[in-house]
Amino acid sequence: MKIKSLWKPALALLIAIALWELATKLFQIEVWLLPAPSTIAQEMVIVFPAFLPHMLATIKLVLVGFSSAIVLGIIVATLLHIFPTAREIVMPFLIISQNIPTIVLAPLFMIWFGLGDFPKYLIIAMTAFFPITIATLDGFGQTNRDLMHYMQMMGATKKQTFFKLQLPDAVPSIFSGIKIAATYSVMTAVVAEWLGAQKGIGVFMTLSASSYRTSRVFVAIVVTIILSLAFFGLFLALEKWFTRWKRNEGAQ
Amino acid sequence: MKAIIRCLPFLALLLLLVGCQSKESEGNEKVQLFLDWTPNTNHTGIYVAKEKGYFEEEGLDVEIMLPGEVSTEQIIGSGKGQFGISFQSQVTQARSENIPIVSVAAIIQNDTSGYYTPKSKGIKTPKDFEGRVYGAYGSELEKASLQAIMDKEGGDASKINMVQVGNTDYFIAMERDIDFVSIFYAWTGIEGEIRGADMNFIQSADYAPELDTYSPLIITSDEMIEKNPETVQAFINAVFKGYEFAINNPEEAADILIAAEPDLNPELVKRSQEWLSPRYKEGAEAWGIQEASRWENYANFMIKNQIIEGVDIQKAFNNEFITNAMK
Repeated sequence: MKIKSLWKPALALLIAIALWELATKLFQIEVWLLPAPSTIAQEMVIVFPAFLPHMLATIKLVLVGFSSAIVLGIIVATLLHIFPTAREIVMPFLIISQNIPTIVLAPLFMIWFGLGDFPKYLIIAMTAFFPITIATLDGFGQTNRDLMHYMQMMGATKKQTFFKLQLPDAVPSIFSGIKIAATYSVMTAVVAEWLGAQKGIGVFMTLSASSYRTSRVFVAIVVTIILSLAFFGLFLALEKWFTRWKRNEGAQ
Repeated sequence: MKAIIRCLPFLALLLLLVGCQSKESEGNEKVQLFLDWTPNTNHTGIYVAKEKGYFEEEGLDVEIMLPGEVSTEQIIGSGKGQFGISFQSQVTQARSENIPIVSVAAIIQNDTSGYYTPKSKGIKTPKDFEGRVYGAYGSELEKASLQAIMDKEGGDASKINMVQVGNTDYFIAMERDIDFVSIFYAWTGIEGEIRGADMNFIQSADYAPELDTYSPLIITSDEMIEKNPETVQAFINAVFKGYEFAINNPEEAADILIAAEPDLNPELVKRSQEWLSPRYKEGAEAWGIQEASRWENYANFMIKNQIIEGVDIQKAFNNEFITNAMK
């Protein structure tokens, strides 16, 4: 996505916010039902010092959980690629693992692993690693056949073929998996915290909701969105950097 | 033509749904009651009123709803439901945020909540909470309430490690990292008795009388009282009879609740009902009555602890309907 093409959604967002502001004033909507964007902005400024530790806790959770998901996802995909039998056996279970709702799984994890950070890392990693694994596997499957033949003809070992051809070729696919997972990893972290934590955006949300401070709930929502976008942006940038050889190739 | 045939089953289903909805009412006014939590013995009187036809006698058709994660106070305040089960603490906080809800009947006169801890943890009085891990349910009130009951012995609640436990089973949580939790004795305490858990129970009101709140209670909205006072009266008349029945016939009342909610543990319901029935109106003139001083004391406690800035507490409760129901 180019910066230039961002002005359209930005404009739409601005118009939506303006309409929202107008509607809350026009229909005199109570703050506890739907706060105006300006009220949310004010609340954000007021509450930010108290909110910061919660935000940092969530960021830490996402960073640790998500990086483990990336490592885990690529390793699992590699193993499944090397051992096709394992792939046949494991695949259905991978899919099943994605069908258990977080709200059910989280309390169970807390029972099994305690209320520290570990069960939350696990939840984030579990939800995020699936798209990464699938996309990586896809990437391995789409290696250029001609180049593969060349490598084999030149007598490259399996290891060489993998590291010099298959893995680099799969990078764009791996990144599309990572980007998909990145968009909802912040949300997963918030839900996990909501189900049991000491600090975090999820905890802040529960506390605000239980005291009917709807504007604070919106502060948490806005920050969750911003964090998710920042996260997505980070991987977008990383992808560009990692695949720059591809673009160079095209330019030649 | 083919498209129409394909749509037929859906059309039939739609008609069926519409049919079902209009069939039930039969002239009775439909109202919804939102519970605060899963059904339990706090709600027995309502189930009695429904199953024994007290609501019908008053011309009401009451649907009992579970709120899930949505707050009952906001549902009632916004007029999406007519009645709800809430707590004095919640109503006070909601009123301070201008949510127009009113408590119209206290379900239990005295607060039965307190702190629950396995005997092996060695927590005997609130002072022992220091340095321990508290499994919080997620409210700003928790720290202030803990400090209030620790004040008597000069304890410091900021030394408690608060961890939100959400939906985790309390008993299992306390076998792991959690040292103590807050419970309602009538339900979780009785559950502990049944499980044979060796527990200490520290009742909040013993240490801090200002925490003796009406919990739970029945709420409706300002608008209902203003525009449909007859409906509110009819509802209160029926639940008044329902709770009177539950007070006088604990066993039969428990059976009604078990029949209506078969997923509940029957033994828990029976023993909880036996414990709770004599407590519904303990020390009060009649079931449901609320004293202004109790509301004022608790509001002052919340203001003092900066949980709320201020509240017009007289608007938070109303005895008019109970007084009429007593006649």
